[in-house]
Amino acid sequence: MTSIDTTPSALQDRNVDYALKGNLRKRKLQQTIAFGLIWLGGIVAVAMLLWIIGYVMREGLQVINLEFLTTRPAGGVSGEGGMSTTIVTTLYLVVLTIAIATPLGVGSAIYLVEYAGESQLESPLVRRLVKIARSGVEILAGVPSILFGLFGFALFVSALKLKFSLLSAGLSGACMILPVIIRTTEEALLAVPRSFREASLGLGATKWQTIVNVIIPTALPGIVTGIVLSVGRIVAETAIFWVTLGGSYRLPRNLLSAGRSMALHVYSLASETRAFDKAMGTAAILIITIVLLNLMINILSRRLTARSQGR
Amino acid sequence: MGLDHKIKQAEERAGAPRPLFITITSVVLFLLAAALIGLAVINRMPIAMLVSGTLQTWIALALVAVLLVAMAWGIWNRKDWARITLMMLLIAGILSLFVQEIFSLFSIIFAGERVLSLGDIANSLVTSLIHLFLRGTIPALLLYGLLKTGSEFDVSASQREFVDGIVRYLLFGIAMSAIIIVFMIIFFTMEEAWESVEEIGLENMLLGTIWRPGSIIGEVGQYGLLPMIAGSILSTIGAVVLGVPLSVGTAILLAEVAPQSVREIVRPAIELLAGIPSVVYGLFGMVVLAPLIRTIDVPANNGFGLLNASIVLAVMIIPTVTNIAEDAIRAVPRSYKEGSLAMGTTHWQTIWNVILPAARSGIIAAVILGIGRALGETMAMIMVIGNSIAFPEPLTNNPLTMFLDTARTLTGNIAVEINYAAGPHRSALFFTGLLLFLMILLVNSLARYLMRERQT
Repeated sequence: MTSIDTTPSALQDRNVDYALKGNLRKRKLQQTIAFGLIWLGGIVAVAMLLWIIGYVMREGLQVINLEFLTTRPAGGVSGEGGMSTTIVTTLYLVVLTIAIATPLGVGSAIYLVEYAGESQLESPLVRRLVKIARSGVEILAGVPSILFGLFGFALFVSALKLKFSLLSAGLSGACMILPVIIRTTEEALLAVPRSFREASLGLGATKWQTIVNVIIPTALPGIVTGIVLSVGRIVAETAIFWVTLGGSYRLPRNLLSAGRSMALHVYSLASETRAFDKAMGTAAILIITIVLLNLMINILSRRLTARSQGR
Repeated sequence: MGLDHKIKQAEERAGAPRPLFITITSVVLFLLAAALIGLAVINRMPIAMLVSGTLQTWIALALVAVLLVAMAWGIWNRKDWARITLMMLLIAGILSLFVQEIFSLFSIIFAGERVLSLGDIANSLVTSLIHLFLRGTIPALLLYGLLKTGSEFDVSASQREFVDGIVRYLLFGIAMSAIIIVFMIIFFTMEEAWESVEEIGLENMLLGTIWRPGSIIGEVGQYGLLPMIAGSILSTIGAVVLGVPLSVGTAILLAEVAPQSVREIVRPAIELLAGIPSVVYGLFGMVVLAPLIRTIDVPANNGFGLLNASIVLAVMIIPTVTNIAEDAIRAVPRSYKEGSLAMGTTHWQTIWNVILPAARSGIIAAVILGIGRALGETMAMIMVIGNSIAFPEPLTNNPLTMFLDTARTLTGNIAVEINYAAGPHRSALFFTGLLLFLMILLVNSLARYLMRERQT
């Protein structure tokens, strides 16, 4: 290519070559522009998210001190006081919701993975019900949280006369996180190698013994990941608790008393009192909680992959 | 062989003297049952209760006595089921003690009526511990004993099979919980919404343009949902216009363009942002975006409204759409990309002409799921959209200024008014919920259909 050939055929080739090169230049330019726009889009997206988090953290950290964390909100329209009771209420709510949803979620996943597969034993009715149950999980995962709130308001608060209480809120919240736990547990169970089940059954263990002693321990990090994920959802949730928890800033004394979670506190402060600095402080605590939970999930999933690769 | 061994073990055990602990536990349980029945008889409780009509209490009492006697018998004969049952009851008891103690301790320490000194906190902590110790020691010791003597008890083969069979049906029932909840949500929402359909009429609600609940007695309320439907749809359209190009761009960037190191930082960051509470975004919209939008020089522009809501929603759907779209792009077979590049196309031409068309249905599904999330968002919307019940209208001759007007979403309509609504008003709010549910169901099944199409 370096030395110039002047035979007619070679000349023609060179013309084609030039044409191609011109075309290539144009295409390269196109690519540069397109990639430039894509990078710009990505940077804008990440920058916006960082701006929001950064702003809230910067404003929030100015309010946060020991007194803010250990005194209760003053109530009324002043917006003064701290946030101690909302932290504890959130904690109660998380424990209660997880305690209700975990047995249901893990149980459902175990049935869907371990039992529903062996369909030759089941009647067509059972098979159909299992199919409906699967689509039920999918539908539930897409239901917006205000509808869980509305449902909880109609059933638990009004019909069952639990009033605005921790219990009403916990039950409604459990409905929301149920699909999260089912899905993550299903994934964790499916990742357990088949040979584990066969080895256990081959030793004469019953199916249930195999599940309790072999499958669940192996899938435990995955199941715990799902639970931590749900904790994050509960901490972040506002709409459900807005219509079921009651919003009292005092500490709940038992399962049937009303309360106010941290996210709800942010909303109440911002919309009822205009104490935006305190709202920012509470929001910063919320963000920190979510970051910590995410770190936990990362550690768990790393352990999970390490374990599956170690085999 | 295993079975022979077991039988032999059981025979040996039957011959061996019963451990003292088991004897005592069994006798105590039996005495408890006897005491319960004895007390009931001495106080003539059965008759008194039957007369006063609390039959349930008496039945409960009898059941407890029967259970106690059965467990006493089971433990005397060293049956494992009795041990397991007793252990479960003990665990439940200890847990409930623990919960009560936590509630009372926390309501001292964290009530925050006044700042407590460390000494006070330590004091109430110790009091609580002593309290717990006094009430919990006996059940805990019993539990410990039962755990330790586990090998003394028989697990018969029939018991194992019985448990195995029961568990199958139990788990089947639990697996139905999700669909039962879905049906209950539909049932309760429809039941509550029925009154409004009957009294106000479907047409008036779906096509009416005025929402004015009759809060004063005698006044007839008007329940037109069209402004809220418009509010929900317009804010979602705004969010899609602003958010989807950014999300799809970011997805292409992460899946194809950016080096691995960038992806390793950005992807977890975006996943983290999906978990940030919506109130935080709403708060940001109120405090930062509203003053910014107010600087747009249009009369009656107060910073809250559709534009603010659209921006907040756009930011909220970015993580969802980006993650799913990136997965869709990554799912395009490598051979497509290699085939295209081998033809001499540039990387961008390959992305534009081969990869994006192949990932199309997945990307559309991502966008639709984003729409579902935007439609369902509640609290952030109440905080930034202004919540006016009027139809959003352009503020000047420019129709785009409609986005500067305040509005209200369907979700916001429910959340703002449900806590004090009654009668047809409350029922109309449930109808709003039903409408929302149907919209979301439609949107989500479309997304699911597209995603399934991709897999096949």
